Amino acid sequence: MRYGMVIDLKRCVGCYGCQIACKAENGTPPGVLWARVLKLEYGEYPARRVSLPVLCMHCEDPPCEKACPTGATVKRPDGIVYVDTAKCIGCRYCMMACPYQSRYFNDKVREYFPGKGLTPYEKLKYKDHPVGVVTKCHFCRHRVDQGLDPACVANCMAKARYFGDLNDPDSEVSRLIRIRRGYQLHPDLGTDPSVYYLPP
Amino acid sequence: MAEDVWVPTVCMMCYNECGIKVRRVDGVVAKIEGNPDTPYGRGKLCPKGAAGIMTLYDPYRIKSPLRRTNPDKGIGVDPKWETISWDEALDLIEERLDRIRRDDPRKLVLAGSALLGDGLLIDRAFAAAFGTPNLYMSGAGVHCGQAEHTLCYHLHASWNTFPDYEYCDYLMLFGCNCGFSAYYTTTAMCQKSGDARARGMKVVVVDPVCNTAAEKADEWLPIRPGTDGALALAMLHVLLNELNLYDAEHLKKNTNGPYLVGSNGCYMRDVATGKPLVWDKQSDRPKSFDDPSIGDFALEGHFKLNDRSCTPAFGQLKEHILRYTPEAVEDITTVPAATTRRIASEFGAAARIGSKIVIQGKELPYRPVAAVYFSGGQWHKHAYLSALAISLLNHVLGATDVPGGALGANPVCLGHPGTGRPHTTPEAGPDGLMVARDWRGAPRLPYPPNEVMPPQSLDLIELFPVAVHSSLPTVVTLQDTHKWRIPYQPEAMIIVGSNLLMSMGNPETQMKAFGRIPFVVSFNLSTNETTDALADLVLPDACYLERLDIMHAKILNSRQPPGTEEWAIQIKQPVVPHAPGVRDVNRVFIELAERLGIQSDLNVVLNNYLGLRPPYALSPDKKYDIEQIMDNYYQHLFGPEHNLNWFKQHGILKWPKKIEEAYWRPFVKVRTPIYFEHFIRAGQDVKEMAHELGIVWDTSDYQAMPEWKPCPAHQVKGNGWDFYAIYYKVGPHTFTWTVQNPWLNEVGEGDPRIYQVSLNEDTANRHGIKDGDFIRIESIAGYQITGRAVLSRGIHPEVVAIAGNFGRWSAGIPLARGKGALTCELHPTDLEYMDMPSGNLDLCVKVKVSKA
Repeated sequence: MRYGMVIDLKRCVGCYGCQIACKAENGTPPGVLWARVLKLEYGEYPARRVSLPVLCMHCEDPPCEKACPTGATVKRPDGIVYVDTAKCIGCRYCMMACPYQSRYFNDKVREYFPGKGLTPYEKLKYKDHPVGVVTKCHFCRHRVDQGLDPACVANCMAKARYFGDLNDPDSEVSRLIRIRRGYQLHPDLGTDPSVYYLPP
Repeated sequence: MAEDVWVPTVCMMCYNECGIKVRRVDGVVAKIEGNPDTPYGRGKLCPKGAAGIMTLYDPYRIKSPLRRTNPDKGIGVDPKWETISWDEALDLIEERLDRIRRDDPRKLVLAGSALLGDGLLIDRAFAAAFGTPNLYMSGAGVHCGQAEHTLCYHLHASWNTFPDYEYCDYLMLFGCNCGFSAYYTTTAMCQKSGDARARGMKVVVVDPVCNTAAEKADEWLPIRPGTDGALALAMLHVLLNELNLYDAEHLKKNTNGPYLVGSNGCYMRDVATGKPLVWDKQSDRPKSFDDPSIGDFALEGHFKLNDRSCTPAFGQLKEHILRYTPEAVEDITTVPAATTRRIASEFGAAARIGSKIVIQGKELPYRPVAAVYFSGGQWHKHAYLSALAISLLNHVLGATDVPGGALGANPVCLGHPGTGRPHTTPEAGPDGLMVARDWRGAPRLPYPPNEVMPPQSLDLIELFPVAVHSSLPTVVTLQDTHKWRIPYQPEAMIIVGSNLLMSMGNPETQMKAFGRIPFVVSFNLSTNETTDALADLVLPDACYLERLDIMHAKILNSRQPPGTEEWAIQIKQPVVPHAPGVRDVNRVFIELAERLGIQSDLNVVLNNYLGLRPPYALSPDKKYDIEQIMDNYYQHLFGPEHNLNWFKQHGILKWPKKIEEAYWRPFVKVRTPIYFEHFIRAGQDVKEMAHELGIVWDTSDYQAMPEWKPCPAHQVKGNGWDFYAIYYKVGPHTFTWTVQNPWLNEVGEGDPRIYQVSLNEDTANRHGIKDGDFIRIESIAGYQITGRAVLSRGIHPEVVAIAGNFGRWSAGIPLARGKGALTCELHPTDLEYMDMPSGNLDLCVKVKVSKA
């Protein structure tokens, strides 16, 4: 079992639904974007644009895990890489090690309405976001453990995201990668990401 | 944990009203998800919908009524709000309204918001009960699809059109992002568009900016703003005159294409019956259009009738567009002639004229092409003529309300199997042309044309006989009611949910208009630019997650996904209670009606709008709350077993859609116009009325056939007026109000373009403007705004593009303040820049750009 995600850039409309669905599910603080969307432009006029949704790549060989001095970054047997915040000392070596800029440091309690205190929703959710630790996308492991897709996958209104077992050649994700020639971002870095992209 | 529940309801972060389920944990909203049970989104949400929690919990929401203590009003003025009680606020309103009602009820103006969707019904019902015609949609403001609505009711008996993503093979979008993160039913259409593209549907997008649809398109055709109609005319010319490619059977049977038209542009009519005549090729003589003995309708040719020469309407159209060769149009649109010709030919071929498809055992015409438009077709001076040109691409190919084509939003509904309600189907009206059947509570219908009358309403709707609604003229007439022969001077305005100062064109012009109304009340979640500049009282409304609203069945005629998906009626219900100082707008209007002694009138109006009949009709002498009204309405529609409690538990009632509902064209015997003969007469009526009133009113666009005419912006050349400034919509924001939502604001701040001013890289370089420069944009009207430049190769060289209704300044919305810019500020906001038949404001304006 190796959980992975496939993002179909042909279907993705760059709406930022994944970024907000992640917020709504995980209640991450301001500036912490476990899921986000990059906007690129290439070619001469009339140039084309591409929206590139990114998140933690859940690398098979995660450099963040190696960099962590306390064992706070854990790669589960099913491939999900997460931070055990109880063990994290906030040294942020992992942030430097991550080539995909997928990690965030909670330096202090940040309010979405600065100076107005936490909203009831933030109060509810910030229990999961202690200060002084590094956090990142964990493929919504609480959902996955209940048999649900990660929130960004479940919510995508373009149906551009797929989640499944990369080790199962018959899974939808494996099939899509094979048929549509899915690729990883920066495979040259040798981390073997579990997030694949299908060409636009 | 005492409580952890999911409540089904409806999103109102925009006007699309997608189905959501909301998780409530110990009284706190913990998550909003799409409801997988509803065709309004199938469990998916756009970013706005998922971000609703942060609007609900915005600490800047007001929690008690506010009274202005600063007598000065105006842009940038501090109103110096003081908190007052609801009793004080309602007493003040009652006193004013009571006086106005005794004097002349028309002196009350109600301004609603597109964002309130069908909840606006209480606003509209109150206006009718009070006796004022002055109610208008200001939330969408000048960004509404008025030309589209007018044409869609004529051509599809609907508020709007969709491409049939289930079967379409070739889609053209003219300044429209349907299925790509904007337009109606976004969450459902994005999924369908993805499916269609995955199975190989080709998408061609015509847009000055590479917005989301253009980003995903197989081909993006950057076009000079305001010239989409010219491109469509050139495509029509190629189809009809070069390729001879059109659906003759459809035109003969389902349109007024065969109706004989004389040299005056009007139908040739049977002397005895007055019915339009056609030429029967078989008997070689004229017959009434509905004569059952007609062997074959002539679509072309020149005929003589009583010494008068005449031609079938379709033949007229063919000849009329001869001058729009792709070469002639290239200079107008900047789209190369060869591209136009190729696209037209591909579009025509993809229509598979003559082909059939069998769906659920029914054989239907199969026309898998659609041209759908929004801003490109209508945010321009000659909106009606441009929108008509684009619409005809579907209609000459028969790609209308059949599988694969352009579909009206569900004009045929045969009702729930248990009750037969709601029931609506278009019918043949005057001259055999289609009359949309009213979904009660919808705005008025444009055909047959409404009677032209002296102005009674500030929006001069009486001078728009073929429009669905009007709004912009209010900004003009309020400045000088005498000039426009309005027989009264408004004394009070109640604004519900909108921020009209930021959406109805230039704010200074609006101040000259709305500033003349001495007493202004605004229901809103927070104070905003409109309240700060204009309002005397602000009333704290409940958020959509705290309110039970009227969910009118007319939603089926605009937001219900088209095609074969099941029918669904949802409930919009509260998930959490509102703060004690907040009051739901529905409750306040009902209370005001009681205080003013018009409660029985309100009940009568609601009975009419909701179609309520005994035993569910509201009794005139009883006060109902919104729960009782909705309980009656649901039972009226779906029987006693489906009452309000049933809806509260289940959230949604669904039933299968029949093929003759989804693809109704072959099953409903009505003709739709390809030649808008009645516009000629309507224009004459308006002209005569304008003459009688002594007002200047241009009626030259009331034409039967499409044409491209330059917008005012196209006529401005040289002297540094090098750019067209245009407004465009972006998926993560709805007009002004979502900018204050911190999650969506974070999107705006992170995106390279949403809060910036986009310019073509080459042109900007020639003007010495670099990426990130702070720039000044000055419009031909003398207005100017500033913004941060972002250079792009994905934008037409002559264009400055500014997203959304940003550039906010009110102290009440600190997160939104100072973000982005407001294109509206650049717009000359008067009738010179308005499309006279439909009421759309021209949203392309010539500007100078320089470093600030």
